[in-house]
Amino acid sequence: MVMREQISRLMDGELEGAEADAALRELKNPDGAASWVCYHVIGDALRQCGGPTPGFSERFAARLAAEPTVLAPRQKHSPRLPFVWAAAATVAAVLVVGSVAVSTLDPQPTAIAKAREANGVRAAQAKPQPVSPDYLLAHQEFSPTTQIQGVGPSLRAVSAGAADGRP
Amino acid sequence: MTRSRRSFDPGLPWIRTALLAVAMLAAIPAAFAQEAAAWLARAAAAAQQQNYVGTIVYQHGGHVETSRLVHLVELGNEFEKLVNLEGPAREVIRSHGEVRCYYPDAKVIRVEPRTFRNAFPSLSPPQQTALADFYHFRQAERSRVAGIETQAWVFEPKDGLRYGHKFWADPVSGLLVKARIVDERNEVIEQFAFTEIAIGVKIDREMVKPTWAVAPPDWQVRQLGPDEAELNETGWTVTRVPPGFTKIGDGFRRLRGARQVAHLVYSDGLVAVSVFIEPIGGAPHPIGISRQGGINVLIRQQDDNLVTVLGEVPAATVRQIAQSVARR
Repeated sequence: MVMREQISRLMDGELEGAEADAALRELKNPDGAASWVCYHVIGDALRQCGGPTPGFSERFAARLAAEPTVLAPRQKHSPRLPFVWAAAATVAAVLVVGSVAVSTLDPQPTAIAKAREANGVRAAQAKPQPVSPDYLLAHQEFSPTTQIQGVGPSLRAVSAGAADGRP
Repeated sequence: MTRSRRSFDPGLPWIRTALLAVAMLAAIPAAFAQEAAAWLARAAAAAQQQNYVGTIVYQHGGHVETSRLVHLVELGNEFEKLVNLEGPAREVIRSHGEVRCYYPDAKVIRVEPRTFRNAFPSLSPPQQTALADFYHFRQAERSRVAGIETQAWVFEPKDGLRYGHKFWADPVSGLLVKARIVDERNEVIEQFAFTEIAIGVKIDREMVKPTWAVAPPDWQVRQLGPDEAELNETGWTVTRVPPGFTKIGDGFRRLRGARQVAHLVYSDGLVAVSVFIEPIGGAPHPIGISRQGGINVLIRQQDDNLVTVLGEVPAATVRQIAQSVARR
């Protein structure tokens, strides 16, 4: 539970130094990795970014397999060492793709469900609303720079771009 | 002349010069603070006491919005009408200290019973000192804005905890016709500018009346408040207040209709940062950091409370305050 909070704080950029290292180590554990994915899915849902649909990994793997292999013309006089490096790079790339595929393979049904729920809750709002106009107005009562501009408070509070300008 | 002075004052004239220089240097911050504070007070007074009508362009984060503003002062009462000219119609009417926001598409009228722009509070001595210590205040160029030959003024931050501010003022009335906030890379993050304005003109009361004189029967009127801020101490504090900021407000208020929210305010004389603390409710809350024009907002959960920190300051400043909210 404590670690989950640390992972959440890590995502918010609140951790530094030893705390950040500890949270990053936790990400290597399955539980930590699951929390990381879960929080990101929830975050994406709240920001209306959408999320991976069920079966994404399978479809992605299938399409990847169906991709034609690009046969580049072999370079003449290709030295041996670069070939070894290229092979190593390929292996590394496969490893990366493999680990990404593994980590997204079981796309956390509970996380997706939570995200759906969150999406549903927020669907009524056109855009994510970080803060209610009440808070802006209450704040601007005290802000010297806002008070010297006659128009700032009202404009910010009802601006269509900021928050969602909703009542 | 020099020669005769030397003959009258043979003892180490450079000491006098040095002392004078030191005295002048020491006097600069004080004089500066008063100059900056006086300038702010004049701009605030102009915004509240002048009649003006014009078209204003508000730019923030890639958005550009155009609005029409009418401001009338009659027998000491302020009347204001702000109508946006693009997108879903929004209308803000201020009269006798009450603010009504009309949302015709949602058929909603929000009524704010308070004045959110009180008389400009004169800055406290710590705020004045902070102005001098943390900003370079200087007169900049003269340039034409909205057809007016304006004088620009700059508040340049001395550290990364503040944004830079530039204001273009009408030298006659003192009214600001353009205002800009820039980040540390000098990129504009928010700007208000009149594209045309008439200052000190006669304005008819009709021009500041709402389009809907009487609320249509199927509209919802949301009365907020009463929002008498109870100025007792909330028991909350910020342990790592960024340098230059002092507490200027501490009390409970009712926001979102009914909820009682602790509200702390810190200011460096030019900008303010608000800290709202409320018991966490059942509804889901977006947590994280976001920006609305020149205002950064950070919302986080702290035990059973929701902490919202916002202000016209960079994200780092908001974050530092948000992370050091504690029970006193």
